[in-house]
Order: sequence, then C-alpha cells, then structure tokens
Amino acid sequence: MSTQEESQSDAKKTPRWGMTIDLDRCTGCGACVAACHAENNLPLSTPESAATGRAFHWIRIDRYYEGEFPDIKLKYMPVLCQHCDQAPCEPVCPVYATYQTPDGLNAQVYNRCVGTRYCGNNCPYSVRFFNWFDPVWPEPLDLQLNPDVSIRPDGVMEKCTFCVQRIKRARLEAARESRPVADGEIQPACAQACPAEAIVFGDLNDADSKVSRLAGSARATRLLEELGTEPKVIYLSRLS
Amino acid sequence: MERRNFFKLVGTASGAAVTGACGKASRELIPLLVPEKEIVPGEEMWHPGVCRECEAGCGVIVRVMEAERQVETAEGKVRERIAAVKKIEGNPLDSVSGGRLCARGQAAVQSLYHPDRLRGPLARTGKRGEAGFTPVSWEEALDRAASLLRKVGDPSRIIWLGRPLSGTRSATVASFLAALGAPQAATAGVCDHTIERKAADAAFGWSGLPVYELQDADFALGLGADFLGGWVSPVFYSRRFGHMRQGRPGRRGRLVHAESRFSVTAAAADEWLPVRPGGEHALALALGYTLVTEKLARRAEATSRLSDAFASTDFQRAAEIAGLPAERIRDVARRLGAAEHAVVVAGASIAQANSLDAVVAGCALNWLLGAVNRRGGVRPPAAPADTRPAFDDVLSRLKSAELVFLDGANPAYALPASVELLAATPSVVSFSAFLDDSAAFADLILPDHSWLESEAAAMPPVSPGVALAGAPAFIRPLHGTRRTEETLDALAKALGKPIDVETPARVFERLYESAKPAGDWENAADFASFCQRQGGWWEEPAAPVTSPARELSSLPPVNEAEFTGDPSAFPLYFQPYPSTQFGDGSGANLPWMQELPDPVSSAMWGLPLEVDLGTARALGVLNGDIVRVVSPRGQLEAPVYVHPAARPGVASMAIGQGHEHYTRYASGRGANPLTIAVPVPVKGCGVFAFGATRIRLEKTGRRGGLVQFSTTDRAPEARRT
Repeated sequence: MSTQEESQSDAKKTPRWGMTIDLDRCTGCGACVAACHAENNLPLSTPESAATGRAFHWIRIDRYYEGEFPDIKLKYMPVLCQHCDQAPCEPVCPVYATYQTPDGLNAQVYNRCVGTRYCGNNCPYSVRFFNWFDPVWPEPLDLQLNPDVSIRPDGVMEKCTFCVQRIKRARLEAARESRPVADGEIQPACAQACPAEAIVFGDLNDADSKVSRLAGSARATRLLEELGTEPKVIYLSRLS
Repeated sequence: MERRNFFKLVGTASGAAVTGACGKASRELIPLLVPEKEIVPGEEMWHPGVCRECEAGCGVIVRVMEAERQVETAEGKVRERIAAVKKIEGNPLDSVSGGRLCARGQAAVQSLYHPDRLRGPLARTGKRGEAGFTPVSWEEALDRAASLLRKVGDPSRIIWLGRPLSGTRSATVASFLAALGAPQAATAGVCDHTIERKAADAAFGWSGLPVYELQDADFALGLGADFLGGWVSPVFYSRRFGHMRQGRPGRRGRLVHAESRFSVTAAAADEWLPVRPGGEHALALALGYTLVTEKLARRAEATSRLSDAFASTDFQRAAEIAGLPAERIRDVARRLGAAEHAVVVAGASIAQANSLDAVVAGCALNWLLGAVNRRGGVRPPAAPADTRPAFDDVLSRLKSAELVFLDGANPAYALPASVELLAATPSVVSFSAFLDDSAAFADLILPDHSWLESEAAAMPPVSPGVALAGAPAFIRPLHGTRRTEETLDALAKALGKPIDVETPARVFERLYESAKPAGDWENAADFASFCQRQGGWWEEPAAPVTSPARELSSLPPVNEAEFTGDPSAFPLYFQPYPSTQFGDGSGANLPWMQELPDPVSSAMWGLPLEVDLGTARALGVLNGDIVRVVSPRGQLEAPVYVHPAARPGVASMAIGQGHEHYTRYASGRGANPLTIAVPVPVKGCGVFAFGATRIRLEKTGRRGGLVQFSTTDRAPEARRT
C-alpha cells in the first residue's frame, strides 16, 4: 500500500464529526437549549447575571424576521459552536487551550485556559462563554450534575463540545466490542431531544452516513462561510 | 437514541437482556428501586417513566447514576450515597415521544432536585393566603385531614381540582371520591383542552381529542391551535410536522396557520393568516362556504346538510369578522380543496367566548374535505373512552364548597377570581410538592412525590394507536413526601372507606385481560412485567373506522366573539397565551425554564407584553419600556416587546410569570396576565374565555424588566419609535 493510500485509509478510519440542522423542520421550540443545559452542566444564570449578558447557552435560537406585517416570516436558526476546520478561535489562544482534535472537534481544554478571552473575541458566531464567577447550584440541584462533564471554574472559557463525552463513551464501547461506531449511534443532547428531528449528527468522512447525505443536499449552506472558517455545522435552508 | 441502544441500556440496568416483544420477562427482572449498594460509580442505568410536566404523557427514559448528598443527622452533616437522576430523554419505543422530548420534559429533573421542594407535611399557622405554615408529622397531618373530611356535611360539596391526566392517579382519585360520595374531579387550568373535547364530541361523536395525521398531509391548516407550541402534545405534533416537511423525499407538505397572534406554529408555517381575535369561527365558515360553493368539497354530497349549513354563510360578513381579505380566504380554501391529503387542525390555544363554535366549525371542515378517518386527515382518539377530569363550572362550585382538594391545579393563578372563594372555603387541602399560589390558601399541605420518584401509568390524550405508558419507581424519595395515592389510601382507611389504589402493574394486567395482546406471554403478570420494563405498551394504529358515530349536520351561524371592555376606552384586544416554556404557568419554578429564551421575544427571567409597531409608535415606547396595562377588571405593569409580527390592535402576553408564591425562582417575578382578564365563560361550555378582554396601555416613563438573550429581531423601525 502506498503512503498516499495509507493516508486515505487512515482518513476513512478517522471520523470528522459534523452536524446538519434542517431549518425547514426546526420550530424554534428550545428543546435543544434545555437539553444542552441538562447534559453539560451549564452554570445557572440569575436575573441579574442575565441582564449583564452573562447567561450561558451553548446553543441558542436566533430569530430573523423577513418582510412586514401581514406578509412577515420569522425564521429560526439554532446556533452553536460551528466546529470550524479553520477556526478563528484557535490561533489566537496563547496557551493552546483551544485546538482542533484529530476527529475535527474544536476542543477547549479547561485546565489550560488562562482566560484571555481572545478566542471569544475572535469567534464570529458569538458562541463562547466566559465564566466570570464560579458556578453555583443551590443544594440539592447539584445532584443533577452530569459526572461525565467537568464543572468549569471562574476564569475559564467554555462552549459547545458536540457532547464529546457521548462521543467518547460510544467510541470506547465500540472499541470494547471490536466494531466501528454505527451511524446514528452518537447523538449530542440537542440532536437527541429535537422533537422535529431537525438535528442530525455524524461522521462527515463517511459518505454513507446520514449527515453526509444531508450535507450534500441542494439546501445545504453554512453560516458565514464567506469568512473561510469552514464550519462543520451545515444548515439546510427553509423552503418558505 | 435508537431503539436498539435503548434495549441495550435497559439490559444493562437490570443485568439481563430484553430482546423484543416475545421475550419471557419475569417479575424479578423489573428494575425496581435501585439499591444504593448496587450503584457502580461512573456506570449509568436507564429506566423508563412517564413525563407528567404536561398532559401529553410522553414516555421517557431516565439516566440514573451514583451521587452523594448531604443529610442532617444527630451527629451532624454526613454524606450519603444515593441513586440520582442525571438526565431525561424521550423513550424511543414510545409512540408519542418517539425518543424526543421538549424543553419542559428536559427540565423536570430540576423539579425533583428543586431547593424549595416541600420536605414534608405542613399545617397552616397564619391567615389564609399568607403562606404561614409549620411542619407536622404524617400521622398528625393525616389525622387533621381525616378530621376535616369528617366535618363535611354534604359530600357533594367536596371539590377535587386536579390536572387533565388519565391513568393510575386519576383512577385512584376517582375511587377515593366515589368512596366519599363526592363529585368527580375537575380541572381549573388554561391548558385543559375542554373546548376541544366538547368540539370533538359535537363534530365527530368522539370521546377525547382527535388525532391529526400531519405526517401524511399535503396541506394542513392550523386554526387557532398552536400545536407546535404548547397545545395538547407538542412533541408528538412536532415529530409529525418534521416528517410532513422533510420526511418524505420529493413531497413537502405545506402549513398555513390562522391565529390572532404570531405563535410558534405561525412562525413555522409557510403562511400565517393573522385572524382577528375571535374570528376563527368566521374564517372556518368562510372557508367552508368557498369549498361548497366552488364545488371543492370532496364529500359535499355525503354531507349535504353540513354543506348546506356552510353554504348559507354570509361570506363577506364572515371575511370581515375574520379580519382577512376575501380573496386570501378563497385562495386558502382552493388549495385546501385541491390537496390530495388536506387536514384542518382546529383548537383554541387562546379561549374566546365563541371558541367552541370555532373549533366545531374547524372540525367540520374536515368532513367537507373527506379528511375524517382518512390517511393524512383526522382520526379518532385511540383510547376507547376519555374519562380524564375536565373544567366544569369551577367558580360557581367553589362558592358552595365545604372542602377543596388541590392536586396539581393552581386555581389562584390560573383563575384569579377563585382567590376570594378559596379564602372563604371552610377547608382546603393541597397535595402540591411546592408552596404555590393556591397551596398558600391550604389548611394542610400533604406534599406528593416528584413524578420521578413515583410509579405511574398514564394514557396520552393523542397517540397513533392505543398507548399506555407506565413504569415502577426506580429511585428512593429524596424528602419526607408521600405519593398522593398512598395518602388517599391512608385517609380512606382512617375514614373506614377502603378504596382501590391503582398501580401500573394492575393497569397492564387488566389491559392483558381485556385486549389479549399478541405475544408470547405466560399470563397477565408476565405481560405487565414486560410492559413496565419497556415503559409501556403501544399498539399500531387501528384500521380507519368507516362508520363514525355521529356526523355533524348543523353549524352555529357566523357570529362575532364578545369582548369585555368598551372599545373607545379599551382599544386593544388582550391575548394571554400558554407559553412554550411555562405552559399554564406551572413550569415557572424551574430555573432552566426561566433562563430559556422565549421563542417570541428572547426574554429570560421575565415575560413582556407584545405589541405591534403602530401601537408602540403611537404610545412612544421602545423595547423594555414599562407600560401599565389596564382592563375593566384591573391593571398590571409589564415591559414592552415591540413585536414585528404582532397584528395591529392586538397585545399578547405569555402566561407563566406573576406568581405570588412559587419558589425562589418564580415568586414575585413579573405579572400574571390572567389577573386582568375578565372571567367570561366560553359559550356552550363552562371554560373561562381568557382571551375575551380589551385593554388600554398607559406609558409609565420607566424602563426595565426585559432581559433578552438575543436582540437580532430588533427591526430598525422598532428603534425609531
């Protein structure tokens, strides 16, 4: 096998995680937002912290009004970390706390982060959140915390991880059973909750995966792709 | 989660694999309470359950893992290992949720671990409504409750106010009330769907809520039913909507939605018909008129009397009342008539005085379209008979009540006119897990477990086929609360009137005896064991019924809905509406729901009054300016959200905030729009028409209270006002 063939073979084995969000299905209900909070130990906001722009939502629902009453439309767009191949947040981190993993995740190493907030400043999608304070969960709300996900202390930046803990769990389990991870086996919390089944997650390197097929749709588009960020979240545009 | 993964996970939980419907599950394999000593740190277990945050009855699976909690002992604080709930997902086997779950269902775990949950029984110490209570033992609480019951002279004056749930809870409550000789349980909320049930009976002769086959429809018309927001079963209908839109390659269904406000469903629709408040009935008649007169009705001959009724409509007047251009109505009717599979989803998310007429007329359109009992149309409820509690003339019954039981209902919030009546009722007993607005009026609070701590079975109001979700309890109660079924059993025994306490196992055993479901089960217990392990029993949709029980033959003539308030003094229609995140207000105690940005305004930790651009301009207010909202019944203050898609002359406000008592996260936050709604009844049924009030707005000159997560919808025009 030539070096090039080996390289291609490795590329096939190494997944490249991506997501499609079908805006023709999305109803803007917010189930994904709540599911993300429940899965990822997001700090609770208070009315005061929310008023100062310090509420955390790793995934948010943007709203775009088009037209004027009575011919007006409201288009919802869930926005989360786009896990860009050319992520603007990565080269500006002085301590390499944010970097690209081999399987294409834009990762954030909490232990390494020193809180410069350069990454948040450089992210065109505004999906990074800085912990100005230690998070607080009044007892016994803390019993709900997911032990698979680190609690982020003050001074640390955080954002969507594509539910990396679920990816790792599925890959470990597949390895234990000596089989590949099946398409659809990994679902981030937002995708699993979505009642309209608008969110699909999977391996973009697998041409047969559902996410790859959807990413090839004529409706596929990427958010702010003119910036050259090469996002791995692909939106399927709404048809009305 | 895929079905195969769920089976695998359940197998992990019990130490045995479940392989399918013909597996011989035994009782020993049911994952009952998880003993703490069997919890392995880092290992997850999944248990089935039934969500009870709303009445939809979604089947769920619950992730349980090891955790530690602090407990107070005589020796001081010690840490104790417990099995704790970490996450809730939809049960992939469940025919309603299909493995999906809404935001409120996700947040239910916060209800379990809420810092302000009641720890045990409380007895009133102060005046009614002041919320002064002292802890008492269960023995004393039950003695006091029995004593209150013995004092009742006329059992017909006992009122049970609950939620519109069907299952083990309602069956046990029914048995308890029957033993006392008391009337059936009733509801007192704004999301009870009593109007829709009455309309289904009138239009189709069906007992229960119709099931709309959106997933197979080519053209759907929503008429007053915010079915993607908070109406009936949002997860169920969202799944079907998603499929209608993009689940059938090459065939995309269209949705046109008629509602007076720009709801979640209106936003998702291809077109929105901004009907005037109370104009849904006129719109339905005008659509029917066009279908009949232009010979677009598929079943016009078979439904000749109904067709005649539609044809007698004064079309121009109907269009005028609906507040829509006549040509637009005709256009929608033509597309409805041309579609191979068309359906009208009729409901009353905002109850108007003529809502029953409107929903009946909307249902009747399905007769004209040939959509009744047809694929892609509307089908009867899968459950044979719907016996869940309904709204029934609550205010007049409260006037003569001797004893009121509160079981999940919060009339002091949802029906503010009941506050004086609750204060004057001789005895009030609440089973609320939280000190809410109504529990504050109770003499005794006998707190129920969280639903995550209780065994239960429930029949969802809408499902493709017969569905019964149920499961045993799987974690120990966190506090000194007691399942209300057990409390009722103890009370009944104290009174010498034994009752039947319903359990999921018994419900499934009876299902086996009556329906004899196909499968390799040795006996009813074996079947019940299997059902509880997988979280329920779901049958495929039944074959369409060819001869419906009743076909509608007449319709109320076109009429204008009545509104309280002189239009010259109160120029705006006021439309309070159940919100996606709080429902009827019961979700407001959960911090995740408080910080979930509102789908309309992106507001967090508060809800604004939504007004149109013209009104805002005339008043000279911007987003976040506080206005005084005045109705003939009273007034409140709220921040303004200038809604680019609000119908001119219509001010809307989501229901959810404005609780006097409802934990640290909701108490004293914002305003309850229902407090200024005049309680007029819906014509033809005793439901409170909370959308039948007019208001005026007054500028206060103050700002504040509107916290938005995202402000991308701020149109330049809104800023210029």
